[in-house]
Amino acid sequence: MAGYRRPYRPSEARQQKGQTAPQEPNLVPIMNLFITIIPFLMLMITIQVSLLALNFASDSTGSGGGDGPGGGNQDKIVEIHLMIKQHDDAGLFPGMEVREPDAEIHKLPWLNENVYDYTRLNDLLAQLKEKYSDTTEIAVIVHPDVIYDTLVRTIDLCKTNGFVTVHYRNPKAVYFY
Amino acid sequence: MSSNSQFSRKQKGGRQVRRKVEDVKNLSITSLLDVLTIILVFLIKNVSMEAVKISELPDMRYPTTISTDKLLENATVTPIKLYLNEVKLGVGNLTLGTPQQLVEDGETRAALQNFLTLDFAAIPEEKKSDACLIVQADANLPCGYITQIVSAGTSVGYENIYFATLEDVDWLRTYSSASVR
Repeated sequence: MAGYRRPYRPSEARQQKGQTAPQEPNLVPIMNLFITIIPFLMLMITIQVSLLALNFASDSTGSGGGDGPGGGNQDKIVEIHLMIKQHDDAGLFPGMEVREPDAEIHKLPWLNENVYDYTRLNDLLAQLKEKYSDTTEIAVIVHPDVIYDTLVRTIDLCKTNGFVTVHYRNPKAVYFY
Repeated sequence: MSSNSQFSRKQKGGRQVRRKVEDVKNLSITSLLDVLTIILVFLIKNVSMEAVKISELPDMRYPTTISTDKLLENATVTPIKLYLNEVKLGVGNLTLGTPQQLVEDGETRAALQNFLTLDFAAIPEEKKSDACLIVQADANLPCGYITQIVSAGTSVGYENIYFATLEDVDWLRTYSSASVR
């Protein structure tokens, strides 16, 4: 056979003495890297704070509207007024006032100083949700001196009772000179 | 340790005695490495760089809420931090001034408006509707300052405004019992 070729001859290397045994790759630096990265990544995930969203989209379903920031619709919806100052002439008192579209007003004064009656508000919102089951909108009108914590807790109760579209409004300020 | 065999030498009656210690088997960490690789991939996938921008600040007291919302997918986030004595803007924590200046000083309000306008303009057009303004404010801050931020944000074009809170499903019960006391 003219095209006969010898098979590959055995590697000469096999014949050599003193050849080192195949070594396992050193994985220790990789392990160190992983062990360093993983706690950081886990930390990034676990320390996120929760978020309470307000959507200020300009369509009719968007939150934030009326007199305050955000624009939006002017439909008759339930309003929650958060107040902190006593002003009899203006009808202001420390506490909350829930106004229904049919002008029924529920007054929830402070229990103590700076202690709002969230339990009653929660019950009232549950009743209002049953009464106005076709709407998910509600407006929170907050006076400037009311603390942020009160606003957030009120919005939170609105959302947990099914009023997920919360409008954030400013009270109308009228100045007399 | 890389020694396959270890020899100890002992002097005994003038003779050296060599004792062979049993080989210690190498710990196989390949399977552990496999697990770590899988975990690493999942962690990298789940870590959102936008979420890192709103991590909990140690020197701020957050309000607590029962309900929470998730940040929009792939949203561009502009955080604003309102401490009782300081307002910081953006990821770079640029100091704007005090919260009082937001209400009393027109220049501070203009600076806020400028910052938000520039930040909003930098967002690609297709992502503008998902742009989020995140308000991280101290629980004891008066709402008048929050209103200024919300007002500036909505006037620039931010449609999604988030308030950063801590989740506490029992706050109503604990608040009620505390108020009774």
